[in-house]
Amino acid sequence: MPEDAIPRHTQVFAAAGTAFLRVATTAGGMGILLFRILARFFPPRIDGGEIWKNLYKMGVKSLPIVAITALFTGAIMVVQAATIVKRYSAEGLLGWGAGFGTLREIAPLLTALMISGRVGANNTAELGTMVVTEQLDALRVLAIDPIGFLIVPRFVSIVATLFMMTLFADALALFGAAHTGKALLNVDPVTFYNGFTAGLLDFGDVANGLTKSVVFGVVIGLASCHFGLATTGGAPGVGRAVNAQVVASAAGIFVLDYVTSFILG
Amino acid sequence: MATTSPGQASHPADVDPVPEAHAPPGPVAALGGSAIDLFLGGKELLSVFIRTLYYSVRGKREKGAFTTQMYEIGNKSVFFLSITMGFIGMILVYQSGLQAKRVVPDYTMLGATYLELLVRDFAASIGALMLATRVGAGIAAEIGSMVVTEQVDALRMCAADPIDFLIVPRFKASVIMTTVLIVWAGTVAYLTGAATAYVAFDVAPQTFFNMALIDVGDVSVGLAKCLAYGAAIPVVSGYCGLSTFGGSEGVGWATTRAVVNTSLTIIILNFFISTAGFLIFPG
Repeated sequence: MPEDAIPRHTQVFAAAGTAFLRVATTAGGMGILLFRILARFFPPRIDGGEIWKNLYKMGVKSLPIVAITALFTGAIMVVQAATIVKRYSAEGLLGWGAGFGTLREIAPLLTALMISGRVGANNTAELGTMVVTEQLDALRVLAIDPIGFLIVPRFVSIVATLFMMTLFADALALFGAAHTGKALLNVDPVTFYNGFTAGLLDFGDVANGLTKSVVFGVVIGLASCHFGLATTGGAPGVGRAVNAQVVASAAGIFVLDYVTSFILG
Repeated sequence: MATTSPGQASHPADVDPVPEAHAPPGPVAALGGSAIDLFLGGKELLSVFIRTLYYSVRGKREKGAFTTQMYEIGNKSVFFLSITMGFIGMILVYQSGLQAKRVVPDYTMLGATYLELLVRDFAASIGALMLATRVGAGIAAEIGSMVVTEQVDALRMCAADPIDFLIVPRFKASVIMTTVLIVWAGTVAYLTGAATAYVAFDVAPQTFFNMALIDVGDVSVGLAKCLAYGAAIPVVSGYCGLSTFGGSEGVGWATTRAVVNTSLTIIILNFFISTAGFLIFPG
């Protein structure tokens, strides 16, 4: 509809309505995609070789970046806690303080953001290129189901990758935190590690973070596949699709993080 | 792959023009290759940064480009940033409330401590990570498409340096708008945090709005982060966009690299600025 056809004072409503419709279209598209992915599990019609290929490409290849992020994140958590620890001279609680935030919140969140940037964006770019160069149509012509062949293996790999990377990031972040505590506050790593086992932290905190990582994995998997499949318009279209995926994943991660935090308590 | 690197010449049998044709690189070669790639990439990134700074002072000014970029980077990110920072504010207060409940069920300092952490770190760092995804991916996708469709070559033909013409307006706009957006993001996160504290832990807003712990150190560390992130986002993602090659797949790769590298840059900068801040203002 041309802009000047709408009276000026209703333009704001038109804009709000358009934005709402766009969000609803995306959410609906992702919902339908989730349904179609789940339908391929009963009975399983999934390409096994593709799953292994994607797990290698997404999981193993992301290790360095997750390791760097986790080490620095743990260090930053201690640097931030350092001011408070010094104020109350509560060195014994440093391990607990940094561990609580890292395991429950920061490690799953930052790992998800990095995986969304590396794996999710990559996935969208790949699928978008396939759509733009009509490779998906070629698959259909060959009577190969694109969802079972391309989407489900990627979705499964992303969820599995994020879960495993979060485990890995938890350990590395705490390792980085322990050694920053030694360097900055002269808290012995042993004291730091004792802070975890002193009874204030339990398996529930780790499980909380890992549950979140699965939720984030589902969001990233759905968003990256949806925006990849919805790509239109050549090379600029692929760039736009990647951009839209990254934004949608980040927003989805934060909203669902809040919801899961409240539900898990 | 940097297979012609001097590090590989240690194996005399392999010194031929195309060593990768018959032997896959060993672990040492792979490590050396990626180290050299990292070094070359860093050198190029530094050169882009220095040229950006030079042209920001000496370059030609294109009318309207700066304002357009301020709108693109700033105004268009407000909605996204408000949503994400609003939710992160609720999450952070909820988690720290749970954490406080396990040791001392005393919430009087919750607001003050939260505000200090927000000013010192979370507003700038998480806000900048969000901007890195939205703005960084946008810059890389736009410049990458220009490279692939040879518009950047056309610029060079017209004797316009793509850094002066494309990156400098984004750089200036980003430094200003990142600071502005992060102040806004911090406000949103603080307000949603106050609402969460009231609903979940019964902390009165009068108790929550407590600025007792904010000092010069917190504000200067926070502002230093805003400026550093604002400068890093367009330079890193613009560099990723300019080094695009190979069609629509290349644009996707460039955008991916932009998001990852910008986020990593922010996390590493955060570590160094936070440590420096802690050493200068031990508080």
